[in-house]
Amino acid sequence: MLFNITEPTNSLEWVIFLAEKYSNMFIQGTILTLYIAISGTILGFILGYVVGLIQDIRIRKEDNIIKSAVFKLIKAICRIYVEIFRGTPMIVQAMIVYYGLRQSGVELSSVAAGILVTVLNTGAYMAETVRAGINSIDTGQREGALAMGMSPLKTMLFIVLPQAFRNILPEMANTFLTNLKMTSVLNVIAVQELFMAAKTAGANYYKYYEAYLVIAVIYFVLCFVFSRLFSLIEKKMEGKKDYVLAVEYMEAQ
Amino acid sequence: MAENIISIENLSKSFGDHEVLRKIDISVDKGEVICIVGSSGSGKSTLLRCINRLEHQTSGRILYHGKEIRDVQREINKYRAKVGMVFQSFNLFNNMTVLENCMCCTRKVLHLSKKDAFDRAITHLKKVGMAPYINARPAQLSGGQKQRVAIARALCMNPEVLLFDEPTSALDPEMVGEVLEVMKELAETGLTMIIVTHEMAFARDVSTRTIFMDKGYVAEDASPDVLFTAPKNPRTREFLSRYLAG
Ligand SMILES: Nc1ncnc2c1ncn2[C@@H]1O[C@H](COP(=O)(O)OP(=O)(O)OP(=O)(O)O)[C@@H](O)[C@H]1O
Ligand SMILES: [Mg+2]
Repeated sequence: MLFNITEPTNSLEWVIFLAEKYSNMFIQGTILTLYIAISGTILGFILGYVVGLIQDIRIRKEDNIIKSAVFKLIKAICRIYVEIFRGTPMIVQAMIVYYGLRQSGVELSSVAAGILVTVLNTGAYMAETVRAGINSIDTGQREGALAMGMSPLKTMLFIVLPQAFRNILPEMANTFLTNLKMTSVLNVIAVQELFMAAKTAGANYYKYYEAYLVIAVIYFVLCFVFSRLFSLIEKKMEGKKDYVLAVEYMEAQ
Repeated sequence: MAENIISIENLSKSFGDHEVLRKIDISVDKGEVICIVGSSGSGKSTLLRCINRLEHQTSGRILYHGKEIRDVQREINKYRAKVGMVFQSFNLFNNMTVLENCMCCTRKVLHLSKKDAFDRAITHLKKVGMAPYINARPAQLSGGQKQRVAIARALCMNPEVLLFDEPTSALDPEMVGEVLEVMKELAETGLTMIIVTHEMAFARDVSTRTIFMDKGYVAEDASPDVLFTAPKNPRTREFLSRYLAG
């Protein structure tokens, strides 16, 4: 061991002592936290894009009744889902999803339930973000493509979404960082993530303050690293400010 | 007799209670260059948007080669690929370079090979004098340059008819000329065009027919010589005198 403190006397020593003694547990907790945050966020983004796109579907007066009725129903379901998950705390959602599924006979591991809750929660927030992102793109972009015969779906995929994606990238990064921290509530359904690790370690020695300090540092480092990483990606996406003249096509004036 | 391409019959369009187009009848033959003039709010843009199917008429029909375009997305897409549109606000795709703008629709709609799409893009970009800028993004171009790219992009689809909605109205005065020049050259190649414009000298010079729209009606539809020198409708006279007075 690095410090080899056997009888800690002050808080700093306790922090080091706990971190070393339970290093395995903290490492496992970190890995699980990352696992849930990353997989939950990615799947949640996909869900969010799908729901956001569905909410953006325009029902035209000319569409036939069955088609517009089906679309209206799907849109209503999406709307209700988004409202419910944005309007309740994630910790409550975790309890309801986990125990609700158990009571109805679905054996779901707490990790799986944790990911599911993260996905549903992220999806609801992302749906709104995606919708706002799509709305922020000038209708001229859509019309420019439609007017040349591009289908509405291709127009969305190749013209509108790429631009919307760029606009909401910072919000997506933010959502991931939020999820990284929000996984801590999943301890209520017995997911062995970081918060749970601190709770366990602290309880063994009645040193809660020190144990939570350990994970505070870990959370902070994770968030710091990822937020820097996202800034880098955003910079990369900005692209070049200047362009190269294609001199081969310059005509002698 | 020239081949009829588009025929607008008894077309009306309302937004709510507001009737914007009233019983429009216009027939467009191959090779015609039709300029539409009229005061703001007379329904010119709405008419072009109806022709391109960006708006849906309230009543009446639009025939393409004698056939009505059914309200099926595939048919509309096919039709639009033949009836291009150039907008006042350019509407170049901001996420793409000039070259990508010109290749995007030929690739995704006409399914041209990369090479064919590239060759076409370069051909038309050369025509409008924008080939050296293939690597630029729309935000890096002047208004006149953007509009010339937009015209090249529309030409890449080999349209049968090209609709222009006030293509120079968003431009600084010194850039209007370069765009009108390009459009004049196009007219000389025999391309069928419908141009909404406030550039009276251009309309008089280039159009084979000029239409004056007033409050949603086609108030006068005549050769430019007649319309600009001896208009029959007093409303046309009033409009033109207001225009010429500045
Ligand atoms: N989407 C819409 N919803 C409601 N009203 C509309 C809509 N689009 C146009 N209008 C109305 O229709 C009328 C005609 O508009 P339009 O844009 O066709 O006129 P315009 O002749 O092109 O005018 P301008 O020369 O200013 O471009 C205007 O009174 C306008 O307010
Ligand atoms: Mg207009």
